[in-house]
Amino acid sequence: MSKSAPAAPVKQKTAVPAKQNSLKRRPRSAGAKALRRIEPYLWIAPSMILMAVFILIPIISVFQMSMSDVSKAGKIKGFNGIANFTKVINGSAFSLVLKNTLVWTVAVVVLSTILGFVLALILNNQFKGRKIARAIVVFPWATTLVIQASAWNFIINTDYGTLNTLLIKLGILQQGMNWTPTPEAYFAWEIACGIFVTIPFVTFCVLSGLQSIDTSFYEAATVDGANYWQKLFKITLPLVKSSLTVSTVLNIIYVFNSFPIIWTMTKGDPANHTDTLVTYLYKLAFYNGRQGEAAAVSVIGFLILLLCASVYMIYTLRKGDDM
Amino acid sequence: MNEAAVKKPVSVKKTILRVLLYFVVLDVCIITLYPYFAMLCTALKSRVEIFSPNGTILPITALWSNFIDIWSRAPMAKYLLNSILIAGGSTLIAMLCGIPAAYALARMRFKGQTAFLGFVIVSQMFAPVVLLIGIYKVMMTLGLTDSILGLIFINAAFNQAFTIWLLRGTFMGISAEMEQAATIDGCNRLQSMLRVLLPVAAPGIVTTLIFIFINAWNEYTVALCLISTDTNKPLTVGINIFNGYNMIEWQYLFAASIFAIIPVVIMFMTIEKNLVSGLASGGVKG
Repeated sequence: MSKSAPAAPVKQKTAVPAKQNSLKRRPRSAGAKALRRIEPYLWIAPSMILMAVFILIPIISVFQMSMSDVSKAGKIKGFNGIANFTKVINGSAFSLVLKNTLVWTVAVVVLSTILGFVLALILNNQFKGRKIARAIVVFPWATTLVIQASAWNFIINTDYGTLNTLLIKLGILQQGMNWTPTPEAYFAWEIACGIFVTIPFVTFCVLSGLQSIDTSFYEAATVDGANYWQKLFKITLPLVKSSLTVSTVLNIIYVFNSFPIIWTMTKGDPANHTDTLVTYLYKLAFYNGRQGEAAAVSVIGFLILLLCASVYMIYTLRKGDDM
Repeated sequence: MNEAAVKKPVSVKKTILRVLLYFVVLDVCIITLYPYFAMLCTALKSRVEIFSPNGTILPITALWSNFIDIWSRAPMAKYLLNSILIAGGSTLIAMLCGIPAAYALARMRFKGQTAFLGFVIVSQMFAPVVLLIGIYKVMMTLGLTDSILGLIFINAAFNQAFTIWLLRGTFMGISAEMEQAATIDGCNRLQSMLRVLLPVAAPGIVTTLIFIFINAWNEYTVALCLISTDTNKPLTVGINIFNGYNMIEWQYLFAASIFAIIPVVIMFMTIEKNLVSGLASGGVKG
């Protein structure tokens, strides 16, 4: 299909030079030239169509809905400017949700990046059972978030959770403890679960960076009398910076948009205390039928991410083309 | 004499560091495996034992029948089949669209190349959950709500960025000389890609393939939103049938979860090394 499509325009273009020139080669090469010009677009066409239909159109439709009066059934009734945005921003829960989102994203990304980096340094040593340790560390990355969150929900349960059972059996606790006395405590557990599942990704990104470092750097530094910390900050960190940047940027996006952990553990309850922007917008759209406002929340979330991305872009561009 | 005196403290320090290293690694492994251990133990307990006030760590008697009961208590076989169809179908479509695109980006120069790559990267910033309202609308128009085919397309589309990213990195790491030689021998581009490039790029392609499969297998949010018929649900959504409003059948939930986890963990362990180097190289070259 993709091969036959360009045939018509190619023929039209070659028709003119063919009349002027009796050489048989000329039109063919001109045709080939035109074909070569459109050829790349044929190669990317399937991917482009797929992404246009299932990503680009939804993006456009969300932006359109965010500025429209939308019925409960999702029908657009007319343009209403920034009414949805003001409604959302003035909503009683919005500032809390926004705060939760920032706490969630910053806490999970920062802590998992630090812990993941340290874990990578540990796993980069030569020791017996290293392969097994690396295979085990991959587990949380491979497990679907819903199941991981269900498991944690069970573990920390006050009445029958295994964490209490374990601590009582070990003699650390006398009786079961309430691990989630407040919504904030529950939210902290959700963050812990988020960190738990994010660490492996950071660890493996950093490990790949560490393994590409030439050991002669360290040998030279040892000869010069550098200690462990000097080597860490002067050699290791600068050289794994690019892997660390990739993992951090991707993690900011994933964690910001992460839905299953919070949805499985608390559904954002009680009263939006554990809601982030994505669970909030899900409820607005599919529980309350306020799709216009939900779209506005989507757009706000996107703008925040875009801001982060452009800060990152400006930062790397200013640093020059050392990537 | 003098040398020995210097050496001794170093080796003691080294031994301590070694012991510390093993201690930390062991702790990390135990903490990482703990949820899985808890899930397995719970999956083997009876309902009474789970909710009893005198909690146990290991099951009193291992109730392997829980692993059999789930197949009759819920349409588990259907969920499993749906998950396989969704993950397999998404992988197939994502690869069919992604390989040519990655090839064009790695081997050709064309106008709009940067713009296309830019869109691919920006598309990463939109998780499906943020676009759910828009996705739902598109699916309504196409008549694909509540259908497995719809989920296949969504997963394929949202994995395009990764597919293109990883494959472009792989292709760029392979010299174009062999393909040029094949072209001189009379192959067209399609043939030279299929016969020369793809076999060489096989490790990278397999890594990408498995990664998409796992992503689609683990996808939850879109399936939760789009699928309403019980028999169309994948495992991730379906197993929550045991997680009712009034009563949670933990033993069944975790027994079913283990079925959903095992294949993916095995696959992931096989590609883990390649995947990360692919991610990093794609990132650096981009």
